[in-house]
Amino acid sequence: MTALLRRLRRDYFATPLDGGTTLVLILLLGAALVGLVRWALFQAQWAVIQVNSTLFAVGRYPLEQQWRLWVVTALLAAASGVSWGLLRALPRRDRRLEAVLWPLNDRIAIVLFVLVTLLLPALLGLTLAIQSRWWLITALLLLLRWASGRWGAGRRGRRLLALLPLAWPILYLIGLGLIGGGLGLVSVPPGEWGGLLLTLVQASLAILLCFPLGVLLALGRRSTLPLLRWSSVLYIEFIRGAPLITLLFLGQNILGFLLPGGVAPERVWRAALVLTLFAAAYLAEAVRAGLASVPRGQLEAARSLGLSTAQAMARVVLPQAIRTAVPAMVGQFISLLQDTTLLSLIGLLELLGTARTVMANPAFLGKNAEVYLTLAVLFWCCCAALGLGSRALERRLNPTATA
Amino acid sequence: MTSSPQQSPAPMIEALGVQKWYPNGFHALRGCDLRVQRGEVVVIMGPSGSGKSTFLRTFNALEDFQEGSICVDGITLSDDLRHIDAIRREVGMVFQQFNLFPHLTVLQNLTLAPVLVRRRPRGEVEAQARELLERVGIAEQADKFPGQLSGGQQQRVAIARSLCMEPRILLFDEPTSALDPEMVREVLEVMQALAREGMTMVVVTHEVGFAREVAHRVVLMSDGLVVEESSPEQFFNAPRHERTRRFLEQIL
Repeated sequence: MTALLRRLRRDYFATPLDGGTTLVLILLLGAALVGLVRWALFQAQWAVIQVNSTLFAVGRYPLEQQWRLWVVTALLAAASGVSWGLLRALPRRDRRLEAVLWPLNDRIAIVLFVLVTLLLPALLGLTLAIQSRWWLITALLLLLRWASGRWGAGRRGRRLLALLPLAWPILYLIGLGLIGGGLGLVSVPPGEWGGLLLTLVQASLAILLCFPLGVLLALGRRSTLPLLRWSSVLYIEFIRGAPLITLLFLGQNILGFLLPGGVAPERVWRAALVLTLFAAAYLAEAVRAGLASVPRGQLEAARSLGLSTAQAMARVVLPQAIRTAVPAMVGQFISLLQDTTLLSLIGLLELLGTARTVMANPAFLGKNAEVYLTLAVLFWCCCAALGLGSRALERRLNPTATA
Repeated sequence: MTSSPQQSPAPMIEALGVQKWYPNGFHALRGCDLRVQRGEVVVIMGPSGSGKSTFLRTFNALEDFQEGSICVDGITLSDDLRHIDAIRREVGMVFQQFNLFPHLTVLQNLTLAPVLVRRRPRGEVEAQARELLERVGIAEQADKFPGQLSGGQQQRVAIARSLCMEPRILLFDEPTSALDPEMVREVLEVMQALAREGMTMVVVTHEVGFAREVAHRVVLMSDGLVVEESSPEQFFNAPRHERTRRFLEQIL
């Protein structure tokens, strides 16, 4: 206790000026916090969120088809649980620690997670039937997390872990199929997707597709073939020199000119294409930095063992380059997720677009603060999840971290 | 000298009049000749900047050259990529900086190329790899990552990795120069054992002891030229050339 006091004194109250600054800042922060809490509890009218929660979540997705989204959510929860458990079961190489089934971080995460699933549906005023679905999905996730963490350390777990990079894309395609319909399911055209659903579909599609494209561009930029190199440079610099919003407008118009009316893909797909092409240019630069960090000797060693250039790239250079590039790439993915809000400006009803229609409704006039705050928190949650997940991945898949 | 190499009409490496200019115009190799017989151990010495590493690296086409010819195990080095790949499969190389693949375990470092390039079954290659690790004295490190090993251990892994491709020739590019002094011996011992087993080796090194004991021939390079080429006894005790004498004065 005295140590704490001494430390407080040293860090925050060393001189009269320090002390004064600390006091003023504390008072200001306290006032802001009190104001925010008072507003959130007594003045804000959260009915605008409660009434429109389905709209925010999925837009105008037909009510009788929404069970498909529940299936997708359950599948995602299951896959997340298994991945989480398997990754946790991997021993960390940067610290000589035994893998623990439930490390402290995970316990904190789970407590927060359970609190959110218990409180949030209730706060949103969802029906008991829907609330219970959220509980079931959470239970499924935690159960699989426990089971895969328990058995993941063994040989079978290693094999399962190797399947994960394959399982996720397959799951993704199944999810898209379930959302869009076809193959016996009633088709729900992308024009009817909206809210968080559309935001996540757009962002994830762009993230998945821009990755291979970005790697190819980065390799092209470092190629010894002048034509390939210069076209990569031209592409990357052109995209990086243009604001995303102009590219989005361009994409909406130019594809209409290039392709006959009926053939041009739907606006949602056009936007996804532009997002992908945009993100690929930035990703290419991140990967290029990663490639530059791999010593020349690695390629020489691989080539002197008889590997072809392509084999040496795929098995020796790229794996190392991408590991180095992961933090920069995740930063890129996070801004991509946030950039999807620009889609509201070309008339797509993703989260921000939905919010704008809600706020334009006379019944909810003047409720902007509630809506924007909710959006901010939602985006923060998505980005934090991306960041945390990638950091965990990075630590566990990086054997070079050993000193 | 351990045993005299068998004299066969076709040398394993035959380099004739090799000349190389770097893109900046520097004349790195100015007409180098070298013949290496099957089972022979040739040590290349010389001051830094003399072109010895560059010369060595032309043997498996890590460096290109403009004039002259190099023939390795009957295959003439040319711009034909298939020839280059064929030669690289038969010629192993050990680098000063080890160049192990840090993202793969020791065992995976060894098995990568044989499985990928020679298309041999993984189980068979793994068994051979473990045997090789045993031979270089680090069998118990098979599942560790290179970053967890000492420099000497890493270099021994690098030698085992080359051997796993069953090369007919091994090139060593200053294999002990990046090692702490106490680790030099363990690497030299492995190389010495290889020489005894009859491996054809070309070694660029400053290790006089190794050259004296293991080499069949010692070559001095200076300013992009092969200056002297003689047996270790003659090289160290009665060098023919003034340049060799000056070099030996500096390093001995």
